[in-house]
Amino acid sequence: MTSTTSGDTGLAVPSWELAAREFAAWRAGDPAALDRLVRVLTPVLWHVVRAYGLDRESAEDVVQTTWLALVRNVESVRDPRAVMRWATTTARREAWRISRAGRREDVAEPETLDTALPPVDGPDSAVLAADTARMLWRHFAALPERCRRLLRVIAFDDRPDYATLSTELGVPVGSIGPTRGRCLDKLRGRLAADPDWSGRRD
Amino acid sequence: MTDDVTLMRSVHDMWEALDPVPVDLADRVLFTLALEDMEFELMRLSESLAPIGARGPETAATMTFAAESLTVMVTVSDAGPSQRRIDGWIAPGAALRVELRTARGVQETVADADGRFAFAALPAGLMQLMIHPTAGAALPLHRPVATPPVQL
Repeated sequence: MTSTTSGDTGLAVPSWELAAREFAAWRAGDPAALDRLVRVLTPVLWHVVRAYGLDRESAEDVVQTTWLALVRNVESVRDPRAVMRWATTTARREAWRISRAGRREDVAEPETLDTALPPVDGPDSAVLAADTARMLWRHFAALPERCRRLLRVIAFDDRPDYATLSTELGVPVGSIGPTRGRCLDKLRGRLAADPDWSGRRD
Repeated sequence: MTDDVTLMRSVHDMWEALDPVPVDLADRVLFTLALEDMEFELMRLSESLAPIGARGPETAATMTFAAESLTVMVTVSDAGPSQRRIDGWIAPGAALRVELRTARGVQETVADADGRFAFAALPAGLMQLMIHPTAGAALPLHRPVATPPVQL
């Protein structure tokens, strides 16, 4: 997944494009393409849904429901290039609805997240990734909730539907781009002031 | 200074490390999508109790699933080496037809009037229950209800 995630990263093929390809192949009669489509998009949906503060069980429910909705309403996705946006928008809408109905936890709790990290005796690269993640988390957690949600959504879905996002974040459509920029600047500023961060990479 | 693309990449990697997608979530999605008839209501997992005595002989886990019109409580227990047993309880109680899917195939039973049913000698792996509208049952269902797939 890491190598196929986002056009934003400049790496490999963006997820939306992979999804478009597999969706088109599935619609053209290749049943194995559905398998690949699910494996490409499920991690994206997971992170997008978790950005709304749903607990893990509710998030899994939303991911399952989203896939069922896609298969049941497959005719409504006329352009394969829109399939990822269709799925992430459906998932976000449902996650947003459930989070407002009160079935949620605050996943932005560092203590909770610390326990989810891989054990320190894992492979070196995993330890390194976990250390970096922890370091970044300290600063990320200090951002306003709106920034945390927006950046997590965009980190996995770099072409989100702005209309629904604007409702959910309470900012006008035209402000999403600038808000994203300000959120990134805040994060960058905090990281620049952390000698541990600048010492560990680049 | 870190540019936007690199920073977003770091945020992406951070979330993958801190909150990884459950390893079998895609498999469970595909298990549901393999159903031939898509006309059913997907139940929500409303409660899950951790296995008691994990890995011991009395390993048992209880899950409760909720649909609009009914809930079903499912207890999974060990029944010998790599064999599982399921005891289910539909509420409100009704003699509904229950179908269980595993990788090995489909089994069927009918709950008693109190809504109790059981399946024995199941393989480990994914399973999914589907409860069907049943003539003469005390609870009329408009369409089947299915649990999300769970690991036995």
